[in-house]
Amino acid sequence: MSAVDMRVRIGALELRNPVMTASGTFGSGREYADFVALSRLGAVVTKGVSTEPWAGNDSPRIAETPSGMLNSIGLQNPGVEAFCAEDLAWLAGRDVPVIVNVVGHTTEGYVAVAERLEREDAVSALELNISCPNVDEGGMAFGTSCDGAAQVVRAVRAVTTRPLIVKLSPNVTDIVEIARAVEAEGADAVSLINTLLGMAIDTRTFRPKLARGVGGLSGPAIRPVAVRMVWQVARAVGVPVIGMGGIMDAEDAAEFMLAGASAVAVGTANFVDPAATVHIIEGLERFCAERGIGRVAELTGAIRE
Amino acid sequence: MSRAAAFSPALERATVLANARVAEGVWLVALAAARTASSVEPGQFVHLRIAEGTDFILRRPFSVFRAGGGRIEILYQTLGRGTRALATVAPGVEMDLIGPLGSGWRIPEGAERALLVAGGLGVAPLGMLAERLARDGVAVTLAQGAPSAGRLLARELFEDVCRRTAYATDDGSEGACGFITMLTPELIAADRLDVIYTCGPEPMQRIVAAQAAEAGVACQVSLERLMACGVGACLSCVVSTVHGRKRACVDGPVFDAADIVWEPAADPEVRS
Ligand SMILES: Cc1cc2nc3c(=O)[nH]c(=O)nc-3n(C[C@H](O)[C@H](O)[C@H](O)COP(=O)(O)OP(=O)(O)OC[C@H]3O[C@@H](n4cnc5c(N)ncnc54)[C@H](O)[C@@H]3O)c2cc1C
Ligand SMILES: Cc1cc2nc3c(=O)[nH]c(=O)nc-3n(C[C@H](O)[C@H](O)[C@H](O)COP(=O)(O)O)c2cc1C
Ligand code: FES
Repeated sequence: MSAVDMRVRIGALELRNPVMTASGTFGSGREYADFVALSRLGAVVTKGVSTEPWAGNDSPRIAETPSGMLNSIGLQNPGVEAFCAEDLAWLAGRDVPVIVNVVGHTTEGYVAVAERLEREDAVSALELNISCPNVDEGGMAFGTSCDGAAQVVRAVRAVTTRPLIVKLSPNVTDIVEIARAVEAEGADAVSLINTLLGMAIDTRTFRPKLARGVGGLSGPAIRPVAVRMVWQVARAVGVPVIGMGGIMDAEDAAEFMLAGASAVAVGTANFVDPAATVHIIEGLERFCAERGIGRVAELTGAIRE
Repeated sequence: MSRAAAFSPALERATVLANARVAEGVWLVALAAARTASSVEPGQFVHLRIAEGTDFILRRPFSVFRAGGGRIEILYQTLGRGTRALATVAPGVEMDLIGPLGSGWRIPEGAERALLVAGGLGVAPLGMLAERLARDGVAVTLAQGAPSAGRLLARELFEDVCRRTAYATDDGSEGACGFITMLTPELIAADRLDVIYTCGPEPMQRIVAAQAAEAGVACQVSLERLMACGVGACLSCVVSTVHGRKRACVDGPVFDAADIVWEPAADPEVRS
């Protein structure tokens, strides 16, 4: 197979290939180390981290749906101090860029986590999660209005020197205007999509299948929605787009890049195949080689219209 | 306490050797899975992919009922879409599984007498355990509850390795009529037990845990939660404990009963 240049750039961040893990589906990477050599990955994106520990929601937290799943984990995490001491310390020696997903109930909460992470050399970039549908305050509340999104991005931009990726919610009328608003505040990249708000009801018990009632839909079921949104956003903003939503194989990853993504993230697919990320990297390289494409980055925005 | 050193899990291609109904709504599937068979410890589980494609996005977790000679056996109940599909899989078909997973049963140092309490499919993680205990010279009593005599599972295995077996059925067709937890206080009192192991519906496990605590006997429970990753990454499967929320897939499924913060019992679930 001819050598394909798999490197991509996300602003100042150079990745050895465009495939990263989607936040919350890969732990801190350690949990998958039996299945994946982490140094093969473009980047590891960690689960959401807040200032204080969060307990998350009650069980049941997941339900299987047609070609997808609902989750309402609720950003359970041990807080940024424990995260730095354990997860980050472990990840630091793994020869893989680490992108930390940052969450908060308030703007001050996001800022405090970003400030704390500023002291950690192992952090390659921040991904600001303003799009989690599974918490009552903060989370998606920031990501569904231009003002809310702009305000939190501005505040975090002021305290971090790291590349700042902002993760967008699909649960909005116009994702493009949110993307433009965060770009204007200095976001270095946008990632999309987070999960779509959904619900499933058990017709035997008449109860919601999730204890929280509603949750976030992920998996192949959301892929066409995600591809459409990546396509819309990529043509509207100047910063790189990281695409995700139901990527199961290399063709799916290529589809996102054709729509305009510079890199992609793999989430739910890890549950089906714990080595999905590596299979997608290998497949993407083959995909390019078979078509005589020398650099994977050439796929970005190469849709023919 | 001896808990086996964790053997790292792997993705394994397994071939179905046999898949047959053993009781009303209960099946036993045997899989050729050499790596898992040689490394799995009692109480651990495998995460089985039901079919290729995106119809079953989530794998399904199943305890390893028995293992040896390069094969594992899974005893399962046909409950929903996934297990009904599993019951149609023919010998020769390849499936993939992740295993061995989870922290299994622990055998206290110098244990001489153990009580196993199973409700329904709760026998599944107890098969390997009963064999291991018997091999180690522990005197084992099994108490098994089921809807009816025909649903008492794996009787030959347990009657072969256990010193004593006791049964309760909802319809009284075998053993005592009623819940198995009616028999357990007497079984606990009759023996100087070193440990009690239980698996089955959570309300049953909770009662057994309370009876064990009352008698001052150590008790381990095996809890079920819906699982996505099975490897500790997604936090789908949390169990409330006195040490905070723990993951059933890696910190469990076996827990010390004394650590569990039991959640309020939900309505009895209606199942078709
Ligand atoms: C560690 C572990 C070990 C297990 N070992 C066994 C075993 O040895 N034998 C066996 O028969 N079952 C076992 N289970 C339960 C088994 O995983 C479920 O019964 C199975 O996933 C149901 O799949 P389904 O597609 O048929 O049901 P679904 O269509 O997914 O659901 C049908 C019904 O089953 C319930 N259900 C689904 N998953 C679970 C679950 N994990 N626990 C409890 N209820 C569930 C649902 O709430 C629903 O009411 C185990 C579960 C865990 C967590
Ligand atoms: C179990 C689970 C947990 C998640 N946790 C987070 C999280 O902590 N932070 C976040 O930004 N996104 C989280 N997500 C969303 C994913 O990162 C991703 O955006 C989404 O699932 C779509 O990708 P997929 O279809 O490939 O899974 C989570 C998704 C799942 C399924
Ligand atoms: S199933 Fe993912 S953490 Fe347990």
